[in-house]
Amino acid sequence: MKPTPAEQLELYTLMVRSRVFEETAGALVVSGEIPGSWLSGIGQEGTLGAIHQLRPDDYLTYTHRGAYGFIGRGSDPKLLLAELLGKRTGYSRGKGGRHIADLEHGILGKSGTIGGHAPLAVGVATAIQIRGGDQVVMSIFGEGTSNRGTTHSSMNAAAVWGLPVVWVCENNGYMGNVPAPMYTAVMDIADMAVGYDMPGEVVDGNDVLAVHEAAEEAIARARAGQGPSLLELKTYRMRPFGETSTDLRDPAEATAWRAKDPIRRFRSALIESGVLTDGATVAISEAATAEMETARSYARDSSFPAPSDAFEDLYA
Amino acid sequence: MRTLTTSQAMNEALREEMRRDPSVYVVGLGLYPSTGDSATNGLVEEFGESRIRSAPMSETVIAGSAVGAALAGLRPVAELHLADFAFNALDEILSKAGKWRYMHGANGAMKLPIVFLQGIGGYVAAGAEHSQSPLALYWHSPGLKIAVPTTPYDAKGLLKTAVRDDNPVVFFTHKLGDSGPVPEDEYLIPFGVAEIRRAGADATVVATSYMVTLTLQAAQNLEGQGVDVEVIDPRTLEPLDIETIVDSVHKTGRLVVVDEDTERCGVAAEIGAQVMERAFPALRAPVGRVANPNLPIPYSPPLEEAVLPSVAKIEAAIRATLT
Ligand SMILES: Cc1ncc(C[n+]2csc(CCOP(=O)(O)OP(=O)(O)O)c2C)c(N)n1
Ligand SMILES: [Mg+2]
Repeated sequence: MKPTPAEQLELYTLMVRSRVFEETAGALVVSGEIPGSWLSGIGQEGTLGAIHQLRPDDYLTYTHRGAYGFIGRGSDPKLLLAELLGKRTGYSRGKGGRHIADLEHGILGKSGTIGGHAPLAVGVATAIQIRGGDQVVMSIFGEGTSNRGTTHSSMNAAAVWGLPVVWVCENNGYMGNVPAPMYTAVMDIADMAVGYDMPGEVVDGNDVLAVHEAAEEAIARARAGQGPSLLELKTYRMRPFGETSTDLRDPAEATAWRAKDPIRRFRSALIESGVLTDGATVAISEAATAEMETARSYARDSSFPAPSDAFEDLYA
Repeated sequence: MRTLTTSQAMNEALREEMRRDPSVYVVGLGLYPSTGDSATNGLVEEFGESRIRSAPMSETVIAGSAVGAALAGLRPVAELHLADFAFNALDEILSKAGKWRYMHGANGAMKLPIVFLQGIGGYVAAGAEHSQSPLALYWHSPGLKIAVPTTPYDAKGLLKTAVRDDNPVVFFTHKLGDSGPVPEDEYLIPFGVAEIRRAGADATVVATSYMVTLTLQAAQNLEGQGVDVEVIDPRTLEPLDIETIVDSVHKTGRLVVVDEDTERCGVAAEIGAQVMERAFPALRAPVGRVANPNLPIPYSPPLEEAVLPSVAKIEAAIRATLT
């Protein structure tokens, strides 16, 4: 079902907020205020089409890339940036950096090992099944991550147990600077679904409404107790692997993909259909910029943890 | 009092805890159809296939799904069968279960109440990949609790405590098993409380699991020769009841630690170091270690005997502290 105009505006706003958050984080890496790194998802915000289909009581697991998982679920940018700056007020009280859990919004933690979250998604879905209910788990991973045994054994287990998991592969064609044919035997990750007896679908990941529609079907299946599905979103990362990494990909390819920027595409469509005006576009961008500036100030003004805090939080 | 095997005692613990708390479930390979003496024997008949969850052959899924279910509020018991197989799930056990609460700053008061059941031990001619006892590997890694029961009585009481603990517990039982008295009435055994298996005045020996059985035999042999050995079974390594060990060393002045695992960076090294830090003046001889001399465990019984601790090796190590 096509989202209502109000839902489309909400989706567009989430995409813009996610991008501005990531631009803010990227600049803080370059300025050295973020002591670690940030693995940007700029260009891949079409994934929000899938995340937006989740209910507040659903769950999301993912690994390393992008902020749209957090923004899409309703996490607080102030606490996200404070964490990236290593501050005590951050989501992980300065202990996790990019590794953030937001249990209130169904984000149960971020795996430092790529693919380490796949069996966890199986477990969350197991909990849903044992308790009874129609919640679902969405588990997002990259095409490189599809190489890991964790991904395969988890897909098998979810299918065997008939679990409400929606596997979402963001295929951005690269693992760092290495192109996919060098590490993945099939070019469509969706083909892997055949091996686990579930539906697999290739979707234009930069067309947020197409993603929205495909996810709706997969989620409905999971909610109805019909088991897992695999969606593959074809997309492209518009930033280097990490904010300070060297990008060795072909610049011509990057330019071609930039023309398919999911936010720009959605904006044109929304303006064309009359859902969005030029004035509203500017207002949404300005509000996002103001929000992230406030978040940045909050993060900067927050204090670092005390060394003694390192001795807390290990055991419950 | 009735006599139970370790598996029967654990079976009772699981049954009682699953009746008490609907959030407890078991996941593992081949949990049913039941075949004889196992900790999960007959549980599917009472609790159904959803809570006695027979898993695909993936330790990653068994341990990792337990972590995910715990994050979502359940209390999983992950049956990994052998510690050797659990190596396939080290990311899930060491990093996810052990470190996620800390890494996420205990966000949302994150809890990981999981029990990882693992069988350990040699002496069964099973070769290098079916005989390991990697206690030190888990003890080395932050965030886990470690239970190593020796008797069926301890196995039941410690397992019930493990299931109720809000932290991940690696629960090791020896594949040789044991049988012994277990009361009908419910009881729990707290973590971090050592059991003095035999009181003695001349030397302290610390041992866990099947090593306790061997050490008690050695102590009995030495008794006839006028040597009075105290045998301490910590029952949990994390938390460790170091006070009971230190008190004993103050009395005897001698310490031997017996460990079926490889010696290097092992349980004996750690306990020896802790005792030296706390009670060096009380020691009248170097701390003795009886452990696997850093070799894979060979198959043929005479070779296996050459590598693993034995009654004779324990006796010799105790004697060495007395001369
Ligand atoms: C188990 C593990 N191996 C390697 C890494 C290092 N690493 C982090 S991201 C990444 C590439 C992942 O590629 P892909 O899944 O395609 O995601 P993308 O970065 O393209 O979004 C690698 C190798 C890791 N974090 N964990
Ligand atoms: Mg990729």
